[in-house]
Amino acid sequence: MAVEYASRAEVRSRRREAADVASFVRRLDWLLVGAVAALVGYGLWAINGITQHDVPGNPNYYLVRQSLFVGAGAACLLVAVIIDPAWYRRHWRLIFGGTTGVIVLVLLAGSVTRGSRRWLDLGAFRFQPSEFGKVFFVLALAGFLAERTKRIGERRTTLTAIGLAAVPTFFVFVQPDIGTAMVYVAALAAILFVAGVRWTHLAILGGLAVVVATTVLWLAPAAGVHILRDYQVQRLTGFFNPNGDPGGATYNIVQSKNAIGAGELRGRGVTGATQTTLHFLPEHHTDFVFASLAEERGFIGASILLGLYLLVVWRGMRIVTLARDPFSAIVAGGLVFALLFQIFVNVGMTMGIAPITGIPLPFLSVGGSAMIANLLGVGILLSIHARSRVRR
Amino acid sequence: MARRLLGGRFLAPDPRTEEPYRLTPALALRVGVLGMLALAVFAVLFLRLWALQVLSGAQYLRAAQNNQLRTVRIAAPRGPILDRYGRTLVTNVAGTEVQIWPSDLPKRHGDRVRELRSLAHVLGVPLSQIAAEIRKHRNDPLTPARIKTGANELQVGYLRERQEEFPGVVIASTYLRSYPHGSLAAHILGYVTEISAQQLRALRHDGYHAGDEIGQTGVEATYDKFLRGTPGVAKLVVDSLGRPRTHLLPSTLPHPGNALRLTIDLKLQQAAERALQIGLQDAHASTCIGCWDANGGAVVALDPRDGSIRALASWPTYRPSLFAGRVSQRALAAAGLAGATARAQNYPALNRAIDAAYPPGSTWKPVTALAAMEEGILTPYSDLLCTGSYRVAGHTFNNWDPNADAWMNLPTALAASCDTYFYQVGYRFYGMPADRGPRLQAWASRFGFGAHTGIDIGPEQTGLLPTPGWRRATYTKKSDPRGWQVDRLWKPGDSIQLAIGQKDLLVTPMQMARFYALVANGGRIVTPHLLEDVEQPSSSDSRGRTLPTSPAPAPEPTNVDAGALDVVRQGLVAATHASYGTSVGVFGGFPVPIAGKTGTAEKVLDPGDGYPRLFDQSWWCGYGPADDPKLVVCALIENGGHGGTAAAPAALHVFEQFFGKQATQTGPVHSD
Repeated sequence: MAVEYASRAEVRSRRREAADVASFVRRLDWLLVGAVAALVGYGLWAINGITQHDVPGNPNYYLVRQSLFVGAGAACLLVAVIIDPAWYRRHWRLIFGGTTGVIVLVLLAGSVTRGSRRWLDLGAFRFQPSEFGKVFFVLALAGFLAERTKRIGERRTTLTAIGLAAVPTFFVFVQPDIGTAMVYVAALAAILFVAGVRWTHLAILGGLAVVVATTVLWLAPAAGVHILRDYQVQRLTGFFNPNGDPGGATYNIVQSKNAIGAGELRGRGVTGATQTTLHFLPEHHTDFVFASLAEERGFIGASILLGLYLLVVWRGMRIVTLARDPFSAIVAGGLVFALLFQIFVNVGMTMGIAPITGIPLPFLSVGGSAMIANLLGVGILLSIHARSRVRR
Repeated sequence: MARRLLGGRFLAPDPRTEEPYRLTPALALRVGVLGMLALAVFAVLFLRLWALQVLSGAQYLRAAQNNQLRTVRIAAPRGPILDRYGRTLVTNVAGTEVQIWPSDLPKRHGDRVRELRSLAHVLGVPLSQIAAEIRKHRNDPLTPARIKTGANELQVGYLRERQEEFPGVVIASTYLRSYPHGSLAAHILGYVTEISAQQLRALRHDGYHAGDEIGQTGVEATYDKFLRGTPGVAKLVVDSLGRPRTHLLPSTLPHPGNALRLTIDLKLQQAAERALQIGLQDAHASTCIGCWDANGGAVVALDPRDGSIRALASWPTYRPSLFAGRVSQRALAAAGLAGATARAQNYPALNRAIDAAYPPGSTWKPVTALAAMEEGILTPYSDLLCTGSYRVAGHTFNNWDPNADAWMNLPTALAASCDTYFYQVGYRFYGMPADRGPRLQAWASRFGFGAHTGIDIGPEQTGLLPTPGWRRATYTKKSDPRGWQVDRLWKPGDSIQLAIGQKDLLVTPMQMARFYALVANGGRIVTPHLLEDVEQPSSSDSRGRTLPTSPAPAPEPTNVDAGALDVVRQGLVAATHASYGTSVGVFGGFPVPIAGKTGTAEKVLDPGDGYPRLFDQSWWCGYGPADDPKLVVCALIENGGHGGTAAAPAALHVFEQFFGKQATQTGPVHSD
């Protein structure tokens, strides 16, 4: 009998567990899951069309690679959903130290491609820590600020947060990878904003950013001090004057705009997209993937992509408002704003309204680290949502 | 387990966040601001996308299409050149050409140099030459720089397989001039090269473009407008490295050049070139000064009735194929076609038949005879004494045959080529009243000497017809400070030597042939020409036809007395048939009656040792059949010795080919 009782209790407990799991699964933001799944699927379909002619004899080379990355990213997403965000909060020092350490390690032992040191070779894989850093940086800073919610209005808190953020940002900047460094700065701004830093502090910081940017890009070079290299300045400012040097620094922008414009409403299809297939458009499966998509699929295809991004961003914003604690809200805000920033800078760059930086387009550009990191970020958002105060 | 993990009991509650997080108004405001920012970002992106793709999509589409389309000129195959019977003298073969589109080369200097260096290595073309070629095309983005024509299969295969490593390098097919008979008729045909910058400036308005092939000499140059054809225009899709991705998509088809039919007879031309070798061999075998290394000459054969040239040979010669495609300066130098080596090879590019002048020697005597009879200072059938020497005005003028001592009439004097007879005639010209002008020169001028013959290829020399006026103008205090007071005078010796075609007189072999044609055809002067007609090949939209061209000028009468001509012709027949004739040993046994005159002209030459001395230029000019002339042949062997030694056997060979008959015997040569 005792055995029977026990087994009955076990059955009940199993049932409760099953009910708990079911309720947890129900509490996931399925609209966000659907939007991201659609985005990833749409991205794979786009990559399939864009890279048809890139590897002679193997039209599916990039598609297969990217699919593998999506698989790995999905696994990371699942793990992130299971982990309680509170864990990150408790261990933000570890996360911060680990992330910064690996980024420094890249500088010491990374492999160089096209003049910048961004990758760690892990046997068959090349792993780009700064991409993962986008997520961990947000977690660490949010952890720091969540500890100081009560002193958030103090100048010291703000300055310490900036000081913490400056460390990994600096090491990414000297790789050199200005684009990712800019993403870090943008995420920092969003984190400070969502964490509740005083408006006056924010205004001062904003003003300071403007002053620094003008100094670095314009005043210092005019005075003969070169903080950035010439090509970096040209890229960052080239979009003001796109036809200045069609063969040189702004070649990419001219070709990119030609590709996007040539797509017109309905696109030129996979075979008709000459800017892509004839390689006039450089980096058309990574940095300029949006231009290729717009050329092949037209305004309709590009709009669908932007619509999916909008959906993801909207769901992300909503999660900020639903988060059960300040830490979760700050994390969600930082992740969503980093995503928005990357979308704007990348898509804007291809259309000539943002500076040229090597920022990949989230969920679309071919690249393992970025895809896995982005799906990881979505997993964290889902995890926050599932533990949010709203019960459904 | 799952419950523990998911239920939030896995971690102890954080004391600092005990208060359940509420959406405070402050946070709501901030999220609202973020949301507005997000909306603004997407609005900007959508609007920009709309502007690019929908509002100005057509413009960008055009830009994208132009990006990949390159307009290419399709070379038209140059017209072939045929002999009078339609046998091919020049045609085209398909060849591959390695070209560079300079705009597609790597932008960075280091990459560019590396690529060009390996290209130079693959093709065996010096890097400096490639660089020079690219520099030439700096201001001309529409034509590629030609790096090598006639690249072999291995080179082409190598480049095709490694196109990634050679951006901007294109392998194109072209037409190459092909010469099935090697150097045959090189001086007539001329050669073709890429148009020079200078020519381009002069001819830009005649439809020539940079990179066009253009005839540089010979009929290739004269009749370039017929031969060149009209290039077509094609579009080509290229990728960002300039590699063609489609076949040529022609929008205008090229029109091949027209066929040029020459008056040349291929077989006779071959015979004329063999004849030069025969003449040179005979010269080498003879014992005269310098004859052992005789290395130059010309043979002209033309129809005396209309002036159409049947054969025109000049030695030394060259292979025009050296100029086909990518020209190798080293090969040109080896062939004597570059300035530095031309002299050592005795100027192979020089067309000696029209562009070199020699003293004519005794072949000139018929001119003297005709002029003297016309002027009434010579009665053909009253005899003059032919002696070993002639002494007048304190000078002694020697006969070539010091033992001569006989009374001779004009035909005999021509046949035996008696110098002293003509010295007397020359002195009679000197004695003519000065106010009538130089009469011998006046007649010579009427016979075409001292002027261009008007042949349809160039360049051509006029030679020199010396007159008292010429002496006065040439020998001045400035040009001849020591002896100008004497040299500027026209002296008896000038007239006397002119009568036998010596001293200052210079003629071209073509002028001589033209004069003998005048003798043969009864006094009409012909314009030598090479063009028979121009034939348009049949194509898809038109049938083949002969194009209208301006015909060569008709022979013009010189109003020379028919009786006087008859006397000269008698003399010329006797020269080849009478026992005392100077070339009876050569032509006496030939079944077709040939009439003609030998000449041994003394020319002061510096053979290269610094001691200028007299060398004999061997001449023979004449025609056959003597009673109904169909062919005039004039042969000249530089430093060939006596006319009968080298030039006459050469001329005989041309007649043998023309009449299809062999001479039965060639006897001992006895001539001046």
